[in-house]
Amino acid sequence: MAGDSSPRRQPNPNSGPAVPIDNSKKRTAAAAAATTATKRKSEFEFCKVCKLNHDQGQRHKYLPNHKRSLSGYLDRFRSKLGDVRFFLDNPSLLRPEHVSRNRFWCVFCDVDVEELDSSFACGNAINHLAGADHLKNLKHFIWKYGGAMDCLNDFRILDDDVAKWEKKCETLKKEAALSGEGSHGPTCGLSNGMSIRYPILDLTGFQTLVVHLTLPPFHRLRCYPRDLVVQQGMEVCGAPVSIEIVTRTLFPMVSLVMVGGMKKGDSSYQGLQLLTGISSSSRGDVQGNVHSGAPPPWLDVSERSQTDKQRQQPSVSLISPSNKPRKSKLNPKRVGAAWAERRKIEMEMERRGEIIKSCNDVEWLPNFGRVWQAGSRKESRKEFEMEKRKLPSVETQPEMPIDVQPYISKRMRCKQMRFG
Amino acid sequence: MAYLLNALTKKREVDAAIRDTIDKVLVLRFGRASDAVCLQLDDILGKSAREVSKFAAVALVDVDSEDAQVYVKYFDITLIPSTVFFFNAHHMKMDSGTADHTKWVGAFHRKQDFIDVVEAIYRGAMKGKLIVNCPLPPERIPRYQLLYKDI
Repeated sequence: MAGDSSPRRQPNPNSGPAVPIDNSKKRTAAAAAATTATKRKSEFEFCKVCKLNHDQGQRHKYLPNHKRSLSGYLDRFRSKLGDVRFFLDNPSLLRPEHVSRNRFWCVFCDVDVEELDSSFACGNAINHLAGADHLKNLKHFIWKYGGAMDCLNDFRILDDDVAKWEKKCETLKKEAALSGEGSHGPTCGLSNGMSIRYPILDLTGFQTLVVHLTLPPFHRLRCYPRDLVVQQGMEVCGAPVSIEIVTRTLFPMVSLVMVGGMKKGDSSYQGLQLLTGISSSSRGDVQGNVHSGAPPPWLDVSERSQTDKQRQQPSVSLISPSNKPRKSKLNPKRVGAAWAERRKIEMEMERRGEIIKSCNDVEWLPNFGRVWQAGSRKESRKEFEMEKRKLPSVETQPEMPIDVQPYISKRMRCKQMRFG
Repeated sequence: MAYLLNALTKKREVDAAIRDTIDKVLVLRFGRASDAVCLQLDDILGKSAREVSKFAAVALVDVDSEDAQVYVKYFDITLIPSTVFFFNAHHMKMDSGTADHTKWVGAFHRKQDFIDVVEAIYRGAMKGKLIVNCPLPPERIPRYQLLYKDI
């Protein structure tokens, strides 16, 4: 084992001394070059996707960790862009009070896009995303951080779309000019998305507005968080507060109960308490709720699971939804897997109090392969049981009294017999 | 540290320990608290119990209690300390080059030895094997003479 694998071999005594030494030198030089190539350190740079300083240079963008963080990063930005795209399709007027909240950070250009001077929601953002600078920065980003070139269009807005948007904006402006400012009624919008604004406060004080809409169960309600912020310091200036509920569905059905209270002239107001209660009624209708007297969902699960248990199906799937989510799947071929599954179900039942913990019978013995027995473990258990049964019978024998008699020699016995 | 381990005296308790340890190796030590080798083993068990706690549970059974005599006989325990390994209520055997594969007789030289043994048992059990090979080199395995029925 000595030096077989080492690059610096002893020169072969048979061949000339010059050749092997040169070869080994070349080899070591090549090896050294290779190692320096891999070890060459580039300067530290900051990867804003992984939020990490690294010195791996261009290699970094191909590493799996980076790829993973990049996909998450782009997904998040894409979803923010989704909002902007929504307004691209449905332009709406931007109220002045929302301007400060409608900021947008473009990750490619590293710039904050404010909406200070635009009249339409996300107007500046749309213009920015359509711009040439943005496209340039986007390409640079993809070059630097990897990612597919075909998602370019995901992160920018095409000129055609911008043109359509501008037309829609103009029509909106005209409509607004015609109908006058500030309608206090609900302005329900139209086509695919619904932007429903409800000014709920005016100077007259308490006002509750109950809006009944139902939401299909699989659509989630998207509320602009900035608009639902509880604003403690709302001034009594008559500016109506509008809640924008943007739903991307065809049927914007959301049950919304908003309670906002503010008394005029009350210096110590409790502040605005905008409680949005959302009850997705479709599910509720089918299964009933507290008011209709239906049983709670957790009881339903247990009823079902009990009937299944009675049918003797150790299906863990019923029980597991109510448990914490199952950990990584254990090898089904592991020792005692079937027993473990059954036992887990039993323990769940016991924990819930459905099955009283049966006093384990005294005779239970684990599966054990004994030392001096050959054959299967069941056989060894049976042998043990037999031994256990034999033991008491063996022990009773010595308890029988032994008659103790004096010793009589044979001669005496014969004499006794002759004479007796 | 060994006082932190479960000391079981009744058969019921041992049964509960065996049945309730699911998907973890159960290390069951049979011995006496007064025996020197037992104490050494208990010390090692106590110190490493936490480290293996994710895949093993440790319990001590007093060999002198009457209730546990059933198990003493069932497991053929003649030399103490003896350690029996269970996984999902199935007994795990380990071939360490000694005469008795069903249990581990004696103490461990180091904490790491114990952890290695338990890990080997866990890996074998997860693969579905009832008997595993001992990862320790022979010099660290305590040797003993196994007598057949005290002959």
